[in-house]
Amino acid sequence: MGVLSRMTTVLKAKMNKLVERWEDPRETLEYSYQRQLELLQKVRRNLAEVATSRKRLELQVVRLRETAQRLEAQAREALAAGREDLAVAALQRKAELLQQVEGIERQAGELEAEQKKLETAEARLRAKVEAFRAQKEVIKAQYSAAEAQVRIGEAASGLSEELADVGLAVERAQQKTESMRARAAAIDELVASGALDDRTAIGGTGTGIEAELARLKASEQVKADLERLKQEVGRG
Amino acid sequence: MIVRIATEGQYELRGQALDELDSADDALLDAIEAGDEAAFARELAHVLEIVRTRGRRLDDDELEESDLVLPPPDTTLEEARELFRSYPRNLVT
Repeated sequence: MGVLSRMTTVLKAKMNKLVERWEDPRETLEYSYQRQLELLQKVRRNLAEVATSRKRLELQVVRLRETAQRLEAQAREALAAGREDLAVAALQRKAELLQQVEGIERQAGELEAEQKKLETAEARLRAKVEAFRAQKEVIKAQYSAAEAQVRIGEAASGLSEELADVGLAVERAQQKTESMRARAAAIDELVASGALDDRTAIGGTGTGIEAELARLKASEQVKADLERLKQEVGRG
Repeated sequence: MIVRIATEGQYELRGQALDELDSADDALLDAIEAGDEAAFARELAHVLEIVRTRGRRLDDDELEESDLVLPPPDTTLEEARELFRSYPRNLVT
């Protein structure tokens, strides 16, 4: 297994860096308990951060939808006043806003998945910590001192790997949360400055073609909205 | 053999499942060498699928060190390449 073995080597090295290995199981018992508590705390803190970021994105969605409604009302007023050009401009901004909303909703969903993963990881780590405490007592009672030392050492390696893995999960969740926070901040700024039409600058992933397609989609939406409003205004 | 899917958990694989994993490993290498993002995502998902469906999930109170550690399920091709770049050079044959 060439690829997977190579990845294992690198991942284990990375994990070892996150959690130092202990040679003496007697030291391990005291030291690892401290590390376990620290890491559990870190996981909880990170869970809270992920939850906060998610709430923020959800609030942003509500605000953007309100703004979209306001823009539609403005477009209706503009049409009633015979200013189709203003109506088109308002509807364009509305279509762009709604595209942003889609992106944010997708990210909120990803954050939710991340939150669930960390919750599972925390529960698993807690179970392993408990198992380790229980097993070492059994091992001490059943084996000779030398053999007990070896077996406790093995159990400690298993636990230490779990600690490192949760550390890895926390690290990844942090990276994702940070990038989403940056995106949310960028959208806030754009909404505040009213410069929402430069969609491609936000995600940083838009290619020329994607931007063109987005514009096309938006302009179709604008046309449909305009027709609908014209009929409404005509009736009223 | 104990296999960990990073950020997810550990599984025990035996016998034929290991052969399957071995051939999936080759396909993964092809995808990485070709720099094919879609193929990489597909082959990584396949590897993880073998581990999840053919392996026995370790209970939360089992304390074992893994023989293999597989990258997190959401690993991108770019990250996978990074894993190779940081592979200790003196171990590359």
